[in-house]
Amino acid sequence: MANGWWLVVGLAAATAFAQESPFQFNGFVDTYHAVQTQWPHDLTSSRTRLRTEMRVDYEDAYLFASLNAVHNSILDDRTGVQLQEAYLNYSNNFLEVRAGRQIVVWGVADGLRVTDLISPVDYTEFMSSDYDDLRMAVDGFRVKYPGERVNAEIVYVPAPRYFQMPIQAENPWRPDMPENAILDFPEGPDTRFKNGDFGTRLSFFLSNFDFSVSALHTHSQSPVTVAGYDFEKDSIVIRGVHETMTMIGGDISMPLGEFVIRAEVAEYFGEALGYKSNLDYARKNTFNALGGIDWYAGDNWTFMVQYLHKYIADYTDELAAEKNSSEMTFRISKELLNNTLKLSLYGMFDIDNLAYYARAAGDYAVTDQVTLSAGYDHFGGKRGQLANYDKNCEVWAKAKYYF
Amino acid sequence: MDLKMFKKGAILVVAMASLVAAEGLSGRDVIQKVKDRPDGDTRSSELSMTLINKAGAKRERKITSFAMDVGKDTKQIMFFRYPNDVKGTGFLTVDYDDISKDDDKWLYLPAMKKTRRISGKSSKTDYFMGSDFTYDDVGQRNIDEDTHTLLREEKVDGVDCWVIESVPKKNDEIFSKKVSWIRKDCLIAAKVEYYDKLGKLHRFLKVEKVTQVDGFWAIAKMSMENVQTNHKTILEFGDLKFNIPLDAKTFTVPRLERGL
Repeated sequence: MANGWWLVVGLAAATAFAQESPFQFNGFVDTYHAVQTQWPHDLTSSRTRLRTEMRVDYEDAYLFASLNAVHNSILDDRTGVQLQEAYLNYSNNFLEVRAGRQIVVWGVADGLRVTDLISPVDYTEFMSSDYDDLRMAVDGFRVKYPGERVNAEIVYVPAPRYFQMPIQAENPWRPDMPENAILDFPEGPDTRFKNGDFGTRLSFFLSNFDFSVSALHTHSQSPVTVAGYDFEKDSIVIRGVHETMTMIGGDISMPLGEFVIRAEVAEYFGEALGYKSNLDYARKNTFNALGGIDWYAGDNWTFMVQYLHKYIADYTDELAAEKNSSEMTFRISKELLNNTLKLSLYGMFDIDNLAYYARAAGDYAVTDQVTLSAGYDHFGGKRGQLANYDKNCEVWAKAKYYF
Repeated sequence: MDLKMFKKGAILVVAMASLVAAEGLSGRDVIQKVKDRPDGDTRSSELSMTLINKAGAKRERKITSFAMDVGKDTKQIMFFRYPNDVKGTGFLTVDYDDISKDDDKWLYLPAMKKTRRISGKSSKTDYFMGSDFTYDDVGQRNIDEDTHTLLREEKVDGVDCWVIESVPKKNDEIFSKKVSWIRKDCLIAAKVEYYDKLGKLHRFLKVEKVTQVDGFWAIAKMSMENVQTNHKTILEFGDLKFNIPLDAKTFTVPRLERGL
């Protein structure tokens, strides 16, 4: 698939050059390394990446492609060249069409997902990438009506993709699993018309607030793990199950003085939920709601807090999840030295498991092209995945060069 | 951030000076003339911003801006072209003339593929893109947010000027007062001094070049220096255009996300 896209991109670029159309080429090189703060002080992430981005404009259309060339010194299967995005975009006053590999972002939440269910997330290295780098593109079509106050959008993804999970044996972020178990986590459903994701979103941008309503037929991108036994291989098999589901939801964003209030709600119909036994799963309707407040406090201070709640209808005690579950995130940031230095603190709380993740970071723009970053990640708590990551408390450093 | 931003924000002034009798003219009258200065219904410009720190190290920002008046309100959309880490970032604002109404602001972040609604109130006192100009400086400041007093008349570089002192009515501003020297020949400020809460000189703005495009006076180059940190920002406006064909769909979130 990636090779095919790249060929299309190359041909279109060559055509555009021949017609002397505007051509833009830029990107960055970044290198990120993290090490455990406790014994055995292993590397938890170590990668260097070249990102190239190209855009070719021709009248009302343009072609965009971005490519990652990655060397990952821990995860061999992550080393290589990956097509991040490649799409053709056409727009006029009444229509915008985008076809190809693209990232689709819905909703107003920051790092949490309620209605934003089209582009999955790459959790191979947990959250050691910037959130925008975690987002995975999908191969699909998007048609928009770009009105003055209203924006209507239809999306069809014939080949959906699922979350990428840290399942490699050598991955420091791999959850605890039985030794020698066979892992069967698909990257997506078979490419058939009936397996496609499709949805629509209607957004309004008004003077006092923005809101949107959305509907999506999709797959649960986060896998439900179901354990079994393969008698032929004489081994435990852990499968990642992704069932279809339908989401109907909406979001709102409203400024109030120095604050911006954000909210998202969505009902998931038929969401797959695993049993405590890990031997089976059920499909339930769930209600998901998020509320958030951003405070632009002035003097380059920003505060953000979000609360996410999930309610499972028709609940049974066999389910691994609680009937009501919730998590919170917060972010505090301050920019200094004419915005060249940014200090930030991000936190995520799994309230039901009393577990948390916190990241303290500093980013310094040495020049317009070079940014140096460093920070510390802390995991802790009583139970759950965040608590299990406590061995991976880490310090990290990153350098980024834009060209 | 076209010409109008800087002109109406605080600084400056163009109007028909020759028609104004100095006698009986109040500070507010002068600032009102600035606000009412003819500048077309639509505008666009290419802005180059150079940031110079105390050590002399330079950073650059390049922005394309479009603006349109809708009654007494102004819509503006800006696209950042350089440096590459912010390339594609878009900023859409609706500045309301009504002093009781906060501005509408949206910020598009291409890395996140997302538009964020941001506060129209608090960001006014933050500095714009690491420069020495605040969002308030580059936006429209309502005349009645300050009390204006005509202090005197004097020459700057041989040009007759009115000297206007403007004191904020609220105390949540970052300056305690500003003093503007308004040129009588073209009614553009020659310089502006901003004083901090302790009454000390904080920032100093100097308009270094004015130009006339299609009959409209405009600032071509100016600098703002923070005299307390010795950080300086030079702004140059290129490709100034007035009364260009723009419609309301230019100033929308879909257009913000589409980019230039």
